[in-house]
Amino acid sequence: MKNREKYDEIFCAVFGVKKEALGETFTFKETAEWDSVAHLGLISELEEAFDVMFETEDILHYGSYLNGLNILRKYGVHI
Amino acid sequence: MFLDIDKFSREQVAIIDESYQKVTYGELCDFTDEMKKLELERAIVFSLCENSAGALAGIIAFETLKVVPLLLSSHIEKELLSALESIYTPSYYWVPESFEDKPAGEVLFQKYGYWLIRTRNRGYKIHDKLSLLMTTSGSTGSPKLVRYKYGNLEANAKNVAKAFGWTNKERCIADLPLQYTMGLNVINSHLVVGATILLIKSNLMSMEFWDFIKKQRGTNFTGVPFSYEIMMKLRFTRMNLPDLYTLAEGGGKLTDELYVKLCAYAKEKGKRFCPTFGTTETSARMAFCPPDMAAEKIGSIGKAIPGGELFLLDDEGNEISDIVAQGELGYRGPNVTMGYGICREDLEKGDEWQGEYHTGDIARRDEDGFYYIVGRKKRFLKLFGLRVSLDQCERLLKTDFDGEFACVGTDKKMTIYTTNQEAASKTPKYLSEKLNMNILAFQARYIANIPKNDTGKTVYAKLPIE
Repeated sequence: MKNREKYDEIFCAVFGVKKEALGETFTFKETAEWDSVAHLGLISELEEAFDVMFETEDILHYGSYLNGLNILRKYGVHI
Repeated sequence: MFLDIDKFSREQVAIIDESYQKVTYGELCDFTDEMKKLELERAIVFSLCENSAGALAGIIAFETLKVVPLLLSSHIEKELLSALESIYTPSYYWVPESFEDKPAGEVLFQKYGYWLIRTRNRGYKIHDKLSLLMTTSGSTGSPKLVRYKYGNLEANAKNVAKAFGWTNKERCIADLPLQYTMGLNVINSHLVVGATILLIKSNLMSMEFWDFIKKQRGTNFTGVPFSYEIMMKLRFTRMNLPDLYTLAEGGGKLTDELYVKLCAYAKEKGKRFCPTFGTTETSARMAFCPPDMAAEKIGSIGKAIPGGELFLLDDEGNEISDIVAQGELGYRGPNVTMGYGICREDLEKGDEWQGEYHTGDIARRDEDGFYYIVGRKKRFLKLFGLRVSLDQCERLLKTDFDGEFACVGTDKKMTIYTTNQEAASKTPKYLSEKLNMNILAFQARYIANIPKNDTGKTVYAKLPIE
């Protein structure tokens, strides 16, 4: 599976949404389901799927679907 | 005055919330005096809470003026709120100005971002001792309430403050919801000594949370097991938190692994780690583990708090006299509430428990008298620190789906077994919405038949919990 597909699947599973919902507006501020439980779930799933270990700052700033891609790239993930 | 807070210096700061609203002890007294002038009747007030100065000031005034709050989240699901409203017909609402569906009625008073609204409902008779109402779980869409009496909150505040040794120098990090029994006790046990409460709405996974507690120099933190899972993920053990001295835990059982890690962290950094144990039915805390003993007594909830008594019951409900034993955990103390309520008439009832509560948790006692939670007699889970009744979930599912359901699980995840193959995949999302809880907490499995015994009762032991 391509990395981007993997990434999308994790978001769909964690937030219980369809792929179409993902995009620019899928952010912490605009997504009601994005609470601390979802956030921890998301970070844990991403770390496992892409074999990375985020720094504290990056975890706290992981507040958007799109910007998250940039954070993952910082850790050398091609996505 | 609630918790005798009028005896503290007027200038001492009682509350600082995330919008930097500061309220002194003197101002809390003035606020209560202003409310007093409204001559509110002794009736039920639905307090829709968020962790802000307004919500807390309201509770302090209502307790002082003997108006009885039912504490609910300001993010409460609409259906649940209207169900509660039709059962308990509140005379008043205490709601944030930002609350979307403003209840109908006259706005009597406005302060700290909150509105006091007089509804059109007529008051009714409630018991003289009734002081406060709380839902039995943070969430389960159940209208079942716990009935507090005057003295419950006060006794637990005082005895917990004593157990921790709190003084007015504490700056307590209060991020647990204040409508949650443990959250309210964390706050009250600091108000009772004249300390400062840092009320936080932002979650632990946000930059805002950490900025706020660092800037405000929080000295102690209380988390549920899930809070500590998040903090470990954030590698908080490497953070520089010079002001933070006490880490307390409650609201569920930590894994032994996490318990050991927190003990080690406390030792290395010269801090203290204090596990505690409580329930809504006991106005929160019953047990406290002294920080110098935690490392020796891995997984223990400690011993009874001052003024209380823990004991174990055998299968027949008799108290076990052997020191080393296992049985259902029971508690006696001034913080035991009066009983449950499921309808308006129940609010006329007096004290049914008379200071003694059987928790439904199975506990072990060691040779030094330390208690350890080992299991549960009642069918509920504690998902993210919130009690969720499995039977209640089954009932919810049956109201909206055909087929049979059996819910089991661990404190990490609920497993929903159903004979309705088509509905199976929909049930996690359904419960997630009903209980206002992340979907990751649920998984569904199709099963041809739910295992039953001769009397038609579900045999849960035959269903794998994971």
